[in-house]
Amino acid sequence: MVKKLEIDWTRCDGHGLCATLLGDDVVLDEWGFPVLDGRPVTPGELTNARRAVLACPALALRLGEV
Amino acid sequence: MTLVQENPPLLRSIGQPRLLAGLLEGRADLQHHLWTHGRQPQLSRETYSELATAVGLRGRGGAGFPVALKLADLPAKGIEAVVVNGSESEPLSRKDRLLLTLAPHLVLDGAAGLAQALHAREVLVAVHDATAAASIRAAIEERQDAVPIQVSDTPGRFVAGEARAVLSILEGGPAVPPGRRVLPTRKGYHQRPTFLSNVETFAQLAVLARLGSREFSSTGVSSEPGTQLLTVAGAVQRPGVIETPTGVPLETVLQYAGAPVAGPVLIGGYHGQWLPRPDGIKLSRPEVALGAGIVVALGPDTCPLGEVHRVAQWLASQSAGQCGPCVFGTAALVDDFGRLLSGDPAGWHDAHRHLGLVPGRGACAHPDGSARFLASALEVFGDDVRQHLAGGCGRAVLGVLPVPGGGW
Repeated sequence: MVKKLEIDWTRCDGHGLCATLLGDDVVLDEWGFPVLDGRPVTPGELTNARRAVLACPALALRLGEV
Repeated sequence: MTLVQENPPLLRSIGQPRLLAGLLEGRADLQHHLWTHGRQPQLSRETYSELATAVGLRGRGGAGFPVALKLADLPAKGIEAVVVNGSESEPLSRKDRLLLTLAPHLVLDGAAGLAQALHAREVLVAVHDATAAASIRAAIEERQDAVPIQVSDTPGRFVAGEARAVLSILEGGPAVPPGRRVLPTRKGYHQRPTFLSNVETFAQLAVLARLGSREFSSTGVSSEPGTQLLTVAGAVQRPGVIETPTGVPLETVLQYAGAPVAGPVLIGGYHGQWLPRPDGIKLSRPEVALGAGIVVALGPDTCPLGEVHRVAQWLASQSAGQCGPCVFGTAALVDDFGRLLSGDPAGWHDAHRHLGLVPGRGACAHPDGSARFLASALEVFGDDVRQHLAGGCGRAVLGVLPVPGGGW
């Protein structure tokens, strides 16, 4: 099952940990909210992506199905 | 019962009216309704699917999702509820409250008929307008339906009319869309399969059930035949709701409403798009993003960018406040358009950057729709942008685009 990162915008408070942990795929906009590149997460990146999901203090970051 | 109308709505049709048939003398009570339309035939789920497929019927709330696909996604063993979304939260639209107020039985026929076919436990009608709610409640008293029908009042706010926000209200929750994007057909009312659509969709289904697909398709364009309700507003002599065949030329609608036949037109409301000129445009879904069927003529006398700025302020005020990019993005765009109006080129640059940061980054389509409206304004009013950057366009802001106040 191909996965991609998703954000529940009603939960995201712009803590920014996702951009720190996944600097290649997540950047922060001028208000501090994440901008995702939208591409699928490759099997090699899955561990780091899961780590970022668990680290999100607002439980806003998820791995969803493409 | 008599219904006092503060502002009698103007209703007219181009061609033969279907939804608005028999309403010239006012609200149709059950007897008048049956005299005009006859009885609603009891059809099976399969027949509804076949009919909706044959005529390509799409939801009339704005998203334009095909009704046949919605029906196909529902489980065969029965569903929780059929929900009539009558919140009509798009401030320019009048068609839904007009149908609920004047033709409540047609809407209820469509909803109750489909509910029976889908083995739904109940029909829920979500309404904001008080007159419309009174009319629909009075109509329910007159009828004998196999499925119970309930009416709920919704708050008057733009995002409160979004399908999942309406479901949240009906469940006693907040009037905001939830963070997860789930389909009402899978997890709707009380997390159970639900058929939810706009008021006009149900009225169209009631007409379709009576006419059959062949007769229904005797007018309009072949891709989605039949009629549609349009609300015409702005710089027009005769604003109001018009029933037209699908695919009607925009110029015909404007002439009919007494609008200037040249000049920019807003299609689809405040989540819609500006067109520089009306000529050559035929109003049919999905080729034209009609939204809830709104056509607004701007006229030559007002400052276009000033009008857009006022609407931008209103759109920012209508954010549910849940999602950061929508809250900060729409507020930043208000500021950008304000600076652009007063001749600051940085306002123009910032607006373009912010328009790229807002769409797709919220729980509902409010940021997307707001950005679409503002981006199309920058495109269509390019000459006005240049005039403002050179000192101003010399026109006052007349308020041609209505912005709801407290009483909306």
